[in-house]
Amino acid sequence: MANEIIKELSLGFPIFFISAMGILLVIFDAITGKNKIINYIFAIAILSITICSAGWILFSQYYNEANNLVIHPISMGMLAYNGYAYIFDVIFGIAALLTIIAAREYNERAEFEYKEFYSLVVLATSGMMMIAHSADLLLMFIGIEFMSITFYVLAGYFRKRVTSVEAALKYFLLGAFASGFLLYGIALIYGATGTLTFQTISQKITAQDYNNLYLILGITLVFIGLSFKIAAFPFHQWAPDVYHGAPTVISGFLSTAGKAAAIFALILIGKNIMFVAIRTLDSNHIITLQNILAVLSAATMLVGNITAIAQNNVKRMLAYSSVAHAGYMLMGIVANTPDGWAGASFYAAVYVFMQIGSFAIVANLEDKDGEYLDFSHYSGLYKTRPFIAAMMVVFLLSLAGIPPFAGFFGKYYIFKTAIDAGYLWLTIVGIVSSLISVYFYLRLLIYIYFREATEQILDTSEPRAAGFTLLISAALTVLLGIFPSYLIELLLYLR
Amino acid sequence: MLIAVLSGFIVACIVPLIFKLNRKVAGALLSILPLSLFIFYLQFLPNVLAGEKILTTFYWIPSLKINLNFMIDGLNLLFALIISGIGFVVYLYASAYLAKSEKIVPFYIYISIFMASMLGVVTCNNTLALFVFWELTSISSFLLIGFNHEQERSRYAALQSLLVTAGGGLALLASVIIIGQIAGTYEISQMSAFHSNLINNALYPSILILFLIGTFTKSAQFPFHFWLPNAMEAPTPVSAYLHSATMVKAGVFLMIKFLPILGGTELWMWLLGGFGGWTMLMASTMALKQTDLKRLLAYSTVSVLGTLTMLIGLGGEKAISAMIIYLFAHSLYKGALFLTAGIIDHETGTRDIRNISGLRKYLPITALIGVLAALSGMGIIPFIGFIGKEMLYETALLSGQYSTLFITISVISAVNIFAVMAYSGILPFFGEYKSPSEHVHEAPFQMTSGPVAFALLGLVSGLFAGSTVDGLTNKALQSIFPSASHHLALFHGFNLPLLLSALTIVVGLIFVLNRKSLVEFIEKIRIPEYFFPSKWYDYIFNGTLSFAEIQTKFLQNGHLRYYIFTILALFILLVGGSFFGFNTSGSILNAFAISIERSIAGIDIYDISMLITVLIASVFALLSQGRLSAIASMGIVGALISLIYIIYGAPDLAMTQLSIETLSVILFVLVLYKLPRFFTYSKLKTRIRDLVIALAFGSIFTMIIIFVSAYGKFDTGLSEYFAQTSYLIGHGKNIVNVILVDFRGFDTMGEITVLSIAAVGVYSLLRLRKQGGEQ
Repeated sequence: MANEIIKELSLGFPIFFISAMGILLVIFDAITGKNKIINYIFAIAILSITICSAGWILFSQYYNEANNLVIHPISMGMLAYNGYAYIFDVIFGIAALLTIIAAREYNERAEFEYKEFYSLVVLATSGMMMIAHSADLLLMFIGIEFMSITFYVLAGYFRKRVTSVEAALKYFLLGAFASGFLLYGIALIYGATGTLTFQTISQKITAQDYNNLYLILGITLVFIGLSFKIAAFPFHQWAPDVYHGAPTVISGFLSTAGKAAAIFALILIGKNIMFVAIRTLDSNHIITLQNILAVLSAATMLVGNITAIAQNNVKRMLAYSSVAHAGYMLMGIVANTPDGWAGASFYAAVYVFMQIGSFAIVANLEDKDGEYLDFSHYSGLYKTRPFIAAMMVVFLLSLAGIPPFAGFFGKYYIFKTAIDAGYLWLTIVGIVSSLISVYFYLRLLIYIYFREATEQILDTSEPRAAGFTLLISAALTVLLGIFPSYLIELLLYLR
Repeated sequence: MLIAVLSGFIVACIVPLIFKLNRKVAGALLSILPLSLFIFYLQFLPNVLAGEKILTTFYWIPSLKINLNFMIDGLNLLFALIISGIGFVVYLYASAYLAKSEKIVPFYIYISIFMASMLGVVTCNNTLALFVFWELTSISSFLLIGFNHEQERSRYAALQSLLVTAGGGLALLASVIIIGQIAGTYEISQMSAFHSNLINNALYPSILILFLIGTFTKSAQFPFHFWLPNAMEAPTPVSAYLHSATMVKAGVFLMIKFLPILGGTELWMWLLGGFGGWTMLMASTMALKQTDLKRLLAYSTVSVLGTLTMLIGLGGEKAISAMIIYLFAHSLYKGALFLTAGIIDHETGTRDIRNISGLRKYLPITALIGVLAALSGMGIIPFIGFIGKEMLYETALLSGQYSTLFITISVISAVNIFAVMAYSGILPFFGEYKSPSEHVHEAPFQMTSGPVAFALLGLVSGLFAGSTVDGLTNKALQSIFPSASHHLALFHGFNLPLLLSALTIVVGLIFVLNRKSLVEFIEKIRIPEYFFPSKWYDYIFNGTLSFAEIQTKFLQNGHLRYYIFTILALFILLVGGSFFGFNTSGSILNAFAISIERSIAGIDIYDISMLITVLIASVFALLSQGRLSAIASMGIVGALISLIYIIYGAPDLAMTQLSIETLSVILFVLVLYKLPRFFTYSKLKTRIRDLVIALAFGSIFTMIIIFVSAYGKFDTGLSEYFAQTSYLIGHGKNIVNVILVDFRGFDTMGEITVLSIAAVGVYSLLRLRKQGGEQ
């Protein structure tokens, strides 16, 4: 027994550690007085240790020990310790780390630095990791809620700025609404199968011991709830308003890591329910559902990209493009194959880095009132700010899916799995929308490189620590582009 | 071989460094790169001539089957030599052409990236890696076209070319993936074994069309040809290199490569032959009326690309052999002509052929190049262009039942091209001296040496065709048709092609001498604007932009109520849809019947009267004009529902319901006190819409509940457990209470804690606010 406890403690170290430390950090906030840098460093340390431990478990293949675990003395079987979960642990951890590093000088510039910012980011990350480690629908829901509630607060972090408060309120109201759908769906799935544990659900479905109608209604409702969280059409409408209103570094965080977490929840549903149910006798309803998802994914890509064309505000353009990227990731869920999940995961990983990087650049260029966000303010940037301009090239080209950057391989892999699954038309829609996206990403590049500066951005300085964020995310974007096989092989191996 | 391809990318990184070290010799230094690449590829010549194929393998992303495998066969080698050879000339040329430009550094960066990716395209054996290089050529072309980015026109042309070619590239990717799925391999050299699988597959038409969208956009075939003339905004060395000699031929290259894989069908022949033939005819006619030297050449390039496509469409051994010669000849003479156009532009400051003539006095070497190259382009004996044209005629004559059509358009186009070549390569140098600039003098050695070499090569390879180009072109042909061979010779005897050549020259001369009236005649042909594909591009482009704006206003209006509206609408669609998707309309009726049957059994007058009161109260709430009355009637509804709980024996639930109802009515009234008066009422249309949504939403939930209560198929494990154990273990008779305080006692404690923390929070907020108010 003691042996098992130790084993589970070491397997679950990343998530236990970050959850405990997150709570500790909140208490720490109360006693450190006016000194903010301690909390900043503390948060960075927590995240680094989490990333390293999750990375070590991945690297040493320690997650295989989970198979030897007969009982789960701590989590009672609600936590899963598989390789996928650790990959996402690392992704979420890096995203949070990059956000916090870039945030300090951003908040300082906005003259609005408070300590709770760092603890909130850490807590949101622990919520995401809870999703990654969930072996149970209920834990997944709690993780999603935990993450969302911290996001509501973070979106309204600039509480003296009307746009930020409006974003938080919108996000909260609609988010709560969507959580209702999600919970109702989970209840119906419980009603259909009599269990909330993923493993038992798939066993029951395989054994045909379930109620089909409730299951389908339940999955539909869960999908509606999760579509809201990843901002898929037509539940995307909150996203641009929120991403635009929220503090820029936070927009970067919640549009990337938050989306990746919700995508992981979708993968869990796909893996444990859809994939199993499609092999039963009543598969035609699941296939219908799959087709509906395909339509939603196509509409998300098109709407996101087409709307992004019309934007003249860089932050809003990135917000819409983030909607479109949710559509690409959904393609992997539509495919409903191990390849598709690996594709969606790879895309999520790549997307996190390139999008956080571009939001960090926007954050660096805006002034203390959140102005200077228009395309025209970026003209001639390559002369005034060559480092930032070069970084932006990497991120934009990768977002546009141009080889050899990571975004291309993400798209390619997703397209390939969709074709494998028989969704040629969806791939063609994906290709058309990628083409549309090339236009607005390159439009920004044309402003940066091909136009002369009209007015100087006076208020900002060269990035200090944020430069580190930029370098890391650019490096990861390029490296995942040149050596994508490491991550892809790992994902396929772990499927 | 991998290093050879990647060397361009590496050199691109160190270009700024080289220019920092020594600006003067940097250009010349950099041209060592293409020269050494040329020599590198030349060393494969003996092996290739001996009939060998050289394959190298490098695993890049094995899990996605993307590998950097390179292959050298006759065709690949021919292209690689053309690319590196012309590259050398262009590097050298640009070092003088752009010597004074600030942007010479980015130029060399971009063009090195381009050359490396182009070499990748033509030597890569893996279609996916090929696609990567393919898109990189589009990107570098975009950067080079937008080189003079101060001008709006340059930016427009750059973006246009990128959208068209990169978009086509994506279509190519789709087709390559499908081919890979069917054939099970992404290696070009292994694909031809699956020829019959591919062409008999149901997806063959979509594969072919996607493939051709990719190659047609790159090779500027109708209806995607319009980007190429616009791309002439690029500096002249770029036009010579990318937009005539190499990049635009990538599409042609891929079409020949895929001839044994996808070709040999009716569809192939008609799509390629038709579009190619039409492009050839149309572009050569449009070329006649151009006055800008570079646009003149651009249209003739489009026409030649059309010819090449048509020949691939015809697809026999003869056609491919003609195509290879034609392509080789074109690369030489068009490269030379572009470079002379660059010299003319550089020296006189204009490219308008109406403003320049008689330049041979000051530009003797350039004049020589121009004339020699133009003669090859015109197809005059003994230049290589002549052999190419003869072979074209021969193929067209042999093309079966439609040979009359093909030979007619070939001859017309050849006549047009004849005239265009004369306009661009001969007329500027002869006649009375005319130039807008006064300081016209011969270009430096770096700029003239390359074109001289091209022009002479055109002559030599024509004169001694049998002993020079014969070997390599034969091997190129054999990489498509392993058993075929051709023997090049200047003179094939007196036959029909020769006669047609003579006819071409005669009519062409008439065209040349009567340029003005010819242009007037062509100008008279008025085609409505909306027939031009370039206009389609603009329409689609602007249409997408305005659609984007309209739908943003519609979908993204910022009002939360509309967002909720869409969410509800989709919920109704999805959940209602999946509910009815079960074909349960019968069972829903059945469920209704069952639940009514059950309810009627125990129903009495209290139930009915209460039900009626609830209904009346809710309708009243809907219709009421004021807030207070609406809230009051909602309160009635709540109170009655708690009565129902009492009747059915759940007094605790009734208590809760009643207290919550009372509390919410009180809260409402308190809030009401602060709210402004209600003046605007929603319109009838809005009300109807809301009614529909509300009804649909409500009835879906009602149906689900009726269904559940009628059939009750929910998993019963938990409820049975509670029913059995709550008295025995929990020692309580009320299951709900036992669950709350016993089975999930910790949860309840947690809830209480959370609530009290929240209360403390609210209290402290209120106190803060009070203090703030006092201040």
